[in-house]
Amino acid sequence: MTTATVPPAQRRRFHVAPYALLIPAVAILLAALAYPVGWQIVTSLKQYGLAQQFGQPAPFVGLANYLNLFRDSQIWAVVVRSVAFCLVNAVVTVVIGVALAVLMNAVGKACRLILQIGLLLAWAMPVVAAMTVWVWLFQWHIGVVNWLLNHIGFNFTNHNWLEKPLSFYLVATIIVVWMSVPFVSFSVYAGLTQISPEVMEAAQLDGASGWRRFTQITVPMIRPVLMIVLLLQIIWDLRVFTQIRLLQDAGAPLASTDLLGTYIYRVGTGSSDFGMAAAMSVFVLILTMVLSAPYVRSLMKEDAA
Amino acid sequence: MSTALSAAPKANRHIKVGKIIASIAAVALAIVWVFPVYWMVNSSLLPNAVLNSPTPRFLPFGGSLNNFRAVLSGGTFFPALKTSLIVTLTAVVLCLLFAFCAALAISRYKFKGRQGFVLAVLFIQMLPAEGLFIAQYKMMSSVGLLNTAIGLAGLYTAAVVPFTIWMLRGFVAGVPADLEEAAMVDGATRTGAFFRITFPLLAPGLVASGVYAFLQAWNEFTIALVIMQKESSRTLPLWLRGFVQQSNTREVDWGQVMAASSLVALPVIVFFLLVQGRLTSGLVAGAVKG
Amino acid sequence: MKRILSMAAVATAAALALTGCGSDSGSGSAATSASASEAPATTEAAQTGENITFWLIGGDTPQDLRDYLIKEYKEVNGGTLTIEEQSWGDIIAKLTTSLPDPANTPDVTEIGNTQAPTFTNVGAFLDISDMYEELGGSKLLQGFVEVGSVDGKEYALPYYFGSRYMFYRKDIYAAAGVSVPTTLDEFNSTVATLAEANPNNIPDFSGFFIGGQDWRNGISWIFANGGDLAKYENGTWTSTLSDPNTIKGLEQLQQIQQTASKAPRTMKDESPWLYFNDSDSSTAEDGTTTATALAAATIMAPGWAHWSIGDLDADGNRVWNDEKFGVFVLPGNDGKPAPVFAGGSNIAISAKSQHVEGAKDLMRIIFSAEYQTLLAQNGLGPANSDYVSAMGSDEFTTALVESASNAKLTPAAPGWATVEGSGKLEEFFQKVAEGGDVTALAAEYDEILTPMLNGK
Repeated sequence: MTTATVPPAQRRRFHVAPYALLIPAVAILLAALAYPVGWQIVTSLKQYGLAQQFGQPAPFVGLANYLNLFRDSQIWAVVVRSVAFCLVNAVVTVVIGVALAVLMNAVGKACRLILQIGLLLAWAMPVVAAMTVWVWLFQWHIGVVNWLLNHIGFNFTNHNWLEKPLSFYLVATIIVVWMSVPFVSFSVYAGLTQISPEVMEAAQLDGASGWRRFTQITVPMIRPVLMIVLLLQIIWDLRVFTQIRLLQDAGAPLASTDLLGTYIYRVGTGSSDFGMAAAMSVFVLILTMVLSAPYVRSLMKEDAA
Repeated sequence: MSTALSAAPKANRHIKVGKIIASIAAVALAIVWVFPVYWMVNSSLLPNAVLNSPTPRFLPFGGSLNNFRAVLSGGTFFPALKTSLIVTLTAVVLCLLFAFCAALAISRYKFKGRQGFVLAVLFIQMLPAEGLFIAQYKMMSSVGLLNTAIGLAGLYTAAVVPFTIWMLRGFVAGVPADLEEAAMVDGATRTGAFFRITFPLLAPGLVASGVYAFLQAWNEFTIALVIMQKESSRTLPLWLRGFVQQSNTREVDWGQVMAASSLVALPVIVFFLLVQGRLTSGLVAGAVKG
Repeated sequence: MKRILSMAAVATAAALALTGCGSDSGSGSAATSASASEAPATTEAAQTGENITFWLIGGDTPQDLRDYLIKEYKEVNGGTLTIEEQSWGDIIAKLTTSLPDPANTPDVTEIGNTQAPTFTNVGAFLDISDMYEELGGSKLLQGFVEVGSVDGKEYALPYYFGSRYMFYRKDIYAAAGVSVPTTLDEFNSTVATLAEANPNNIPDFSGFFIGGQDWRNGISWIFANGGDLAKYENGTWTSTLSDPNTIKGLEQLQQIQQTASKAPRTMKDESPWLYFNDSDSSTAEDGTTTATALAAATIMAPGWAHWSIGDLDADGNRVWNDEKFGVFVLPGNDGKPAPVFAGGSNIAISAKSQHVEGAKDLMRIIFSAEYQTLLAQNGLGPANSDYVSAMGSDEFTTALVESASNAKLTPAAPGWATVEGSGKLEEFFQKVAEGGDVTALAAEYDEILTPMLNGK
């Protein structure tokens, strides 16, 4: 009797309920993003500068902005730098994040709590506040970093960290990794606690070394978490903006330290070439999709399974 | 028997040494991570002259609350705090509600367009926001939501909802539908079953996603910069930025800037420490599905 | 499941309603919209005047002056003047979005003098030629009037001016055996001597501390050698970095950067005084004194920098010390002061203002004798030359007025804000400071800047 009545009811829910449940989320996304994204796509096909913003007609120029973009040698340098920066940061963040998670899992309760609270505090720092502190720590004249390095025997008196692009990116990486590691650590730690101690003990009795246990048991078990965390880091690090902009504000060679976010900002808000900035944004969106496509596909397959 | 007896203490000692090293490493790393936060608080207690000296002072001896007094005397902090709280809490509530419904849909049902929706949710996060501000301004102005907390909260909700759906999806999938049905068999109504069985199991997940949404909305400042142009409608990050920039055109008053930063960070830190336990267990529950 | 759904819907609606209330009561817009909806209230508003908004940028205008404006406006117009303070760092993004928006534009806004040409050219401001004479006419600072004019019509008028001059360490000049230079050539060699002598033996000591990216101070050497950044000919602007006089100035600047300044190459013009004061607190508890913050014998800064220069008193405030610190105006080689970058800002009515009469009332108050005198008394160079004498005669004011007498503005090109926003000048000056080939660099950046100057 029950088996006879339940399936039809389920089938009816099948059609209406999921769509109804999606309405609020879809509505807010459409309301907040449809117009801006549409505007951006249309504007990317126009010549749109400050004069157009103040009411001059904006002529359609077809794909001219995109063509200029592909001819611009600087944008390719920016793309290469951004992708490199994103990959390095994402990998370093995930590696350190996993290491800290393993550490959390290995130590006693008190030490774990200390480490967790340390990470939470860093995570809770507002970006503007964190950047102010970091810029100051790396300040060339009175910065604590130079002072510390001087005291352990190096000569870093008045060393300007932001002057050369490579050392600029080193500082940026330290800051971005510092900010992103807590999220990764907590997510991975959560995954680690799901691995049953019995499995580990059994492996230990079988004589598996620590490293072997980590690569053969731990990593496969937390693979889903690792995949998602890595994907998110790649997405977030490719569009890193605030940290780079505030570091540049502190004094840096602009052209050689621009990443995609700051470059779009400079072309748009800085130079009032909004058509070009819009074209770049569309390009970056497509670039991100292409870069993450293989990854997303395997993720979707797992999801469907 | 005898081998086991003799081996056990040796192995124990081995494990103990390893554990001590790990503990030391954990504490050392905690210090490294917390140092910038500590430095902010330490500096906020020291006078500017000390801060501009090339010899850093690592402990706030001889410090005072003068910087905090100076920062708060402007009278602009509390209105900004109020705006920030309204915007953030609204965004968090809306976000959790919307994302929860959507997560329920995509983890409990197979329907046409499901994959497409999941993909869209992922891709929306790849949108570069730096070129959007003119359009966002025009939109908010045309519907009269410029300089309003509700308008900004709406934009934030849209910005955070995709990731929250992504996160909650795992939690909802982790709660077996059979549990609910079992309760109904025992005579509970569907609503009753949901609140008694499913909801408590989801609570840690909601906390974890809520914390994420809270952080994003609390810290955001590029959208706010354009949408909240009136002084009276400033959020805390804008207030802090105004403070830093004001200092830039005059002498950088690091002490006051650090005091202002501490004030902005304080509510988040308190909130974090309050939900700390639940947050961790929330992330644990989420990891089941990943 | 349907129940869950309806629950969610109810909760959503409730949440929206709640926040709706919250934001309304918080913003105070409820009161305005309520009164606007009542017909009698609107006519009453017309009788009692117009409520207008005025954007000031940065904290340069003291509170007393703001209070004065609000009070006067109430008396003259009857309406309420709301002053919003914006910050320099984000002003372009805000003006770009707000000025074209009739519903949210500030009625009157301050705007940086170098940003004025761009916004004036795109039609952001109201033509106020009809009241130009009434507001002071030819007595207003003409360089600033020019950047706010198009085709002989005035849109943005001067608000206040500032200027840059030199602060020097008397004690170090004496120890190094040099005196205050009286020509530009003398200045260039004096600061090199100072860096070389370094009487206090301070690591990386600068005779003259100027950041590599600091073009706002650096262009003084271009101007002083008769060069310029751009010229206007046959209806188009051309970048003139390759002009022989400009090159000469840039080479002098490069020489200073290489021999006299140890400031970071990435530094702009912010806070040079941090490296100019003694660091009174560098003596540790055990009595050992480490390197001091002092790192420069000379800096170039806007006049108000003197509030940040001096010895520390017990309360941690800086107190100017005549024995140790002095000021002089950067000399030219022709007996006049060198033309330095003229700081300051303009003021204009938004073209989209819905309260033009109120906005004009405010302009009349700002250009009145009382307000111009107040500006002068507060150390801000008044727009109207009649009131400069009210500025007083201490050494700072004297230096300010003297250096301003020959000060020069950046080109009034429609694309100047674009040039500034692009960061290309910082880039160019940094490369010059690093010792690059000036002629090649100048040619390279002329190519980049010329299209920007004309707004494409």
